[in-house]
Amino acid sequence: MAIDDTKTFAEVLDKRRILICVGSGGVGKTTTSAVVGLQAALSGKRVLVLTIDPARRLANSLGIDEIGNERQKIPLERFQEIGLEPKGELWAMMLDMKESFDRLVQRDAPDEETRDAILNNRFYHYFSTSLAGTQEYAASERLYDLHEEGHFDLIVLDTPPTTHALDFLEAPERLADAVGSRALQWLYKPGVLSGRPGRGLMAVGTNYVMRTLGKFTGGELLRELSVFLRTFSALFDGFEQRARAVQKLLASDDVGFLVVTAPDTLTVEEALFFHDQLGSEALNVDGFVVNRVHPRWVDENTLDRGERELAAKLEALAQRMDHFPESLDFDAMAASMVENALQFQLRADQDAGSVVHMSQELPSETPIVQVPYFNQDIHSLGGLDTARRELFG
Amino acid sequence: MTVPDLYNRRFVLFSGKGGVGKTTLAASFALSCARRGERTLLMELDAKNKASSLFGVGEIDEEIREIDDNLYGVAVTPAEAMKEYALMVLKIKLIYRAVFENRVVSSFLRVIPGLNELVMLGKAYYHTQETDENGRQKWDKVIVDAPATGHGIFFLKIPSVITNLIGSGLMFEEANRILELLRDPARTGIAIVTLAEDMPVNETLMLTEVLTDEMELPIACVIANAIYRPLFSDDERDWIDDAQDFLCDEESEDVLQEFRGFIEAAKFRNDRVAMQQHYLELLRDNGDWPLMEIPYYFFDRMSFAIIDEIANDLSESLGQTKRQATG
Repeated sequence: MAIDDTKTFAEVLDKRRILICVGSGGVGKTTTSAVVGLQAALSGKRVLVLTIDPARRLANSLGIDEIGNERQKIPLERFQEIGLEPKGELWAMMLDMKESFDRLVQRDAPDEETRDAILNNRFYHYFSTSLAGTQEYAASERLYDLHEEGHFDLIVLDTPPTTHALDFLEAPERLADAVGSRALQWLYKPGVLSGRPGRGLMAVGTNYVMRTLGKFTGGELLRELSVFLRTFSALFDGFEQRARAVQKLLASDDVGFLVVTAPDTLTVEEALFFHDQLGSEALNVDGFVVNRVHPRWVDENTLDRGERELAAKLEALAQRMDHFPESLDFDAMAASMVENALQFQLRADQDAGSVVHMSQELPSETPIVQVPYFNQDIHSLGGLDTARRELFG
Repeated sequence: MTVPDLYNRRFVLFSGKGGVGKTTLAASFALSCARRGERTLLMELDAKNKASSLFGVGEIDEEIREIDDNLYGVAVTPAEAMKEYALMVLKIKLIYRAVFENRVVSSFLRVIPGLNELVMLGKAYYHTQETDENGRQKWDKVIVDAPATGHGIFFLKIPSVITNLIGSGLMFEEANRILELLRDPARTGIAIVTLAEDMPVNETLMLTEVLTDEMELPIACVIANAIYRPLFSDDERDWIDDAQDFLCDEESEDVLQEFRGFIEAAKFRNDRVAMQQHYLELLRDNGDWPLMEIPYYFFDRMSFAIIDEIANDLSESLGQTKRQATG
């Protein structure tokens, strides 16, 4: 049973140089990344939280106005204001996908002319922002750079929401594959699209195939795209090399994955699916973080004691508090309170059931840690710190 | 509040970020349409079969199948949609194979921006136009549960991206037809699903602005999901706040401590209600589309019982609009 194993969970921070938070959308990945970063910073590490969301709330909760493309340090005063003394440093940075991809082109282009031809191509914009996997690719590239640079003891990465955990991992390969496959290289060789018989093996059928395809895409698109790909192919070597290096890093013991989830059935299933995917690639899954777990406010016995007793207690309390508005009907309020507690009990039971289900499905050494559902969204460093205490004991 | 005329549109798309209950609401809406006697097609795009578990039917796949009275479901994948579309145009399977299953071509198709989304929208478009042997519309309603991409907007942008990018060919014509349908408020409605919380609301406001101003797409309504019903009056709320503070200060092992959970749970409810009301107001103040609220369900959300109940809610609140003659 690895539920609430905060000790094992905390050890993860000493073991890894990179922690990657994965999970479905809306489960609190960004906040969890910040909380993990905060803990590591308090314990003496120089930490970078790398987020992909331009979430103002995260910036606010870190006590800064905005998280930009440049890394920035959270001022010490922000910690002192809430009575924290970090032994390390906490930095934050937003990952701009487009910018990351531009950097990559700038780095790998053999000359200025090629570089400009790519950056100014009208396909490039869509290619760098919209093609499946490009965002993930840019993120993993940037992560690799920051790791190599060695400035930080720990980098916590908040990944884009995906339905497949592996999108992020496979992205480098998939992208290199999409634009670099030998089949494609053959396609944009001069002659193939111009209609002249090529020298390739399938040259005879090629014209027909391309003409038919051209019906769909319009010949213009086909031509332009092939020009783009031809130019872009100058980057292939860099791409492929880098993709291999990134993958090697992600599979190394420097890197651990945290699966972030919410306790409802559907999201838990998705989280377990992530876990399987990560496991099948022999990656290190360091723990499950379950956010928004409904607490059990009232124990079963007390719930059974009924409205009337509660009403009497509330009335007694009102007297001691000396807050006794005439309009208040304690019987009615007690009835509402019981109804409310029963409703949340239902939720708490389901959440607890989900966590048990997870512990049965996961290997016993994988810690599962829970953060209760708070009555407010986390808006401040103090809020992050409350969540941190829940996660790390 | 204006009642959204969702029932009068033939083509309804549910958009929104992942985790807001988009699939549940699309399914509930589809069920409510079917119960009004409309032949309804629920299309899941590039998703992992979430609707099938809701209806307790076997896997919904690329074959259209009946999942309830009058209600049909289909799961659309880009690969299947591409194949169907290509076959429709090319007519001959052998040619399709030679062209589209060619390795070079499949690599090529993978890098065409937005092609996957376009062929899926294309399939949806086709079903909105589809007629039976008597020449009547085959579907009274086509309901699309749009893929939960990081930014839902990307999906809806695709047709205009394509028409801006290329100027000829079947893809261009297809994109144009889809765009025309999407922009027609008489036929199409976009329902944006959100939660009454900080990030989802901010994203929704951004999305509605882009949809209306930039893309000229008709927003039929915004649906705020999982709204807590307030349980306590203002006086009660004040008293509960006070009691909570009082008990926090009280160090003694009071006999009341065991009942304290009731007060904490009530306080939690009140705080959540207040927060949601704040964000609902923000939604109301910042747009002229109708806003609908769907209550929070304390039991787990993925069951037929829940969509059944939401479907009833929807038909009650939406039913005030006149039903259009079908066919």
